[in-house]
Amino acid sequence: MTVTPEPSTTPEPAETSQLAALRRQREFAAADEAAIDGLLSVRPPERMPRPEPVWDDAPVLVHDIVGERYHWLVLATRTIAATALAGQFLMITVPPKGGERILLPRPMAIHRRHPEQGTVEVVYGVAGRGTTALADVAVGERLLVTGPLGRGFEFPDAALPTATGAQQARTALMIGRGVGVCAVMGSVEDAARLGLKATVVVSGRSRANLIGLADCAELGAEVIPVTDDDGSSRMPALAARLRARFDAGPPDVILVCGAGVLARLAAELGAEWGVPVQVSLEAHMACGLGYCHGCAAPVATDPAVEGPLVCVDGPVFDAAL
Amino acid sequence: MNLAPPDATTDARRAFFDARPASAAAVDLSVRIGGLTLANPVMPASGCFGPSLGRLIPVTELGAVVTKTVFGTPRGGNPAHRLTEIRAGMVNSVGIPSRGAAGYLAQQHPHYQALGVPTIISVGGHRPGEYARVVRDLAGSGVAYELNVSCPNLDRHGADIGSDPDAIREVVRTTRLETDKPLIVKLPVLVSSIADCALAAEEAGADAVCVANSIPALPLERYTRAPALGNVIGGLSGPGIRPIVLRLVWLASRAVQIPVIACGGIETVDDALDYFSVGATAIQVGTASFGRPFAMVEIVRALQDRCLTDGAGDINALIELWRAE
Repeated sequence: MTVTPEPSTTPEPAETSQLAALRRQREFAAADEAAIDGLLSVRPPERMPRPEPVWDDAPVLVHDIVGERYHWLVLATRTIAATALAGQFLMITVPPKGGERILLPRPMAIHRRHPEQGTVEVVYGVAGRGTTALADVAVGERLLVTGPLGRGFEFPDAALPTATGAQQARTALMIGRGVGVCAVMGSVEDAARLGLKATVVVSGRSRANLIGLADCAELGAEVIPVTDDDGSSRMPALAARLRARFDAGPPDVILVCGAGVLARLAAELGAEWGVPVQVSLEAHMACGLGYCHGCAAPVATDPAVEGPLVCVDGPVFDAAL
Repeated sequence: MNLAPPDATTDARRAFFDARPASAAAVDLSVRIGGLTLANPVMPASGCFGPSLGRLIPVTELGAVVTKTVFGTPRGGNPAHRLTEIRAGMVNSVGIPSRGAAGYLAQQHPHYQALGVPTIISVGGHRPGEYARVVRDLAGSGVAYELNVSCPNLDRHGADIGSDPDAIREVVRTTRLETDKPLIVKLPVLVSSIADCALAAEEAGADAVCVANSIPALPLERYTRAPALGNVIGGLSGPGIRPIVLRLVWLASRAVQIPVIACGGIETVDDALDYFSVGATAIQVGTASFGRPFAMVEIVRALQDRCLTDGAGDINALIELWRAE
């Protein structure tokens, strides 16, 4: 749950090779979409309360570049920090910058919650006009944010340390790619708080582009860093590595965000290990509250009936083969 | 906007709810739409509001709310992506998913009623004769009906019902037989004569026209030339369309005696006053609410403040003061 609702507006490609790269990017996106085809369903409402969002005029406390291509925001917003649940998101309104008017707020996952400090962290990549303008916001300025929004990740009862018959430490496997790591980080926080052992696959283009390594270290989570440049993020290498790591003692739940192929992998592993899988989706959104109906979720439904929406029925869905 | 800074105990939303001084509420901003009196002329554009927004803003400060368009039977809506943003504005092709009249009444109308503000129900049809049936099925719910005639007419090879004055007449005439409540006809932008369309609505018994719907557009992804929307074409909205719609509101206002409700890129009180100055009686806010959920309430409060500071006794006096020479 991490995306910017806009068509690609990357700078004018100087070389046809860049155009080819854009086409490849589009093909990749289509393949990614195809990978989740038929996987997802809306989670039945369980313990998790419906979100009670607010909007706030949040001072920007930190706005730094992390890695080669990501931006890190720390926002002071006490109510949201105190109420956000793992995997929920914010709508961030981009203020006018340099004459650029951005009309629609951008949905972004809450990366970290610090209720005692009254702050939340967000990490985003610059993908289009909206995030380009957002990157110009200075420390000390305020951002209009609405949240917390959506139904986030939820540990199933069987994965909780208090579950009946829990003989040993419960474990959770989180898989995130790019800024998708942010969507699962709230669950890494929850795991640390609840006493679950968390293993986090952190996937990215290169080592310098891996998000959340320091957060995982702080939260005592095991990290499996994988990257495109050494091939470790690709299939079947990653699948083989996770089977080797977990076949003897599977996790109690798998939580994924950031790539359709990873959601597909998680669903396959979940089926093999007999454990539930939850996937957080990204979508183009305008309201984040359900009323604009802009974020149709890729969940198969009767075409005559309105299907689920990513913002209110998700962004986290159940995934199963 | 003058928001109290967030402190240890609150958030800007809370401060906004608390911000209204009691004196402002004494200003008379009321407007009449047919037999209906609204406390003020500000309401959301259909599709850009839902009861869930009621948590974020004090909706009772609005003149009315308008529902997403209700069709007679359920519709699924368009495939993703349903919206995008380009420099010209927002383009949406949501495709008006609807639970149908029965579904609306059972599942959605109670949430609208709970808001404590008059609900105008937007009604759609695939053929001119369908609108009357939907209004009949709505069984008297809502304070007024906004007839969304920017729908492809399946009897006329998909041309917008609202682009054909004869079809508008048929929609209004047949619906008029089903209800005494005010009928508002929401007109499309791409018509050969907005005046003829507005006149057709007035002659057939409409109580107001709403000008206008979003503007048909085709956004492409830059460089790859792939359609940005699942439905390929969508409707352009936002501040960029304001001068286009201002012209239409001006033309429609000169053509008819019934109120014209303006809808097109309104973000601020001055945008609203622009429309009032060319003849609008009320205004609808759409795209602006996404980025600034409180935009509508801010406009109501600013109208009250303008009346107080300009010494205008009511909204009509304010409009007169601000009307173009």
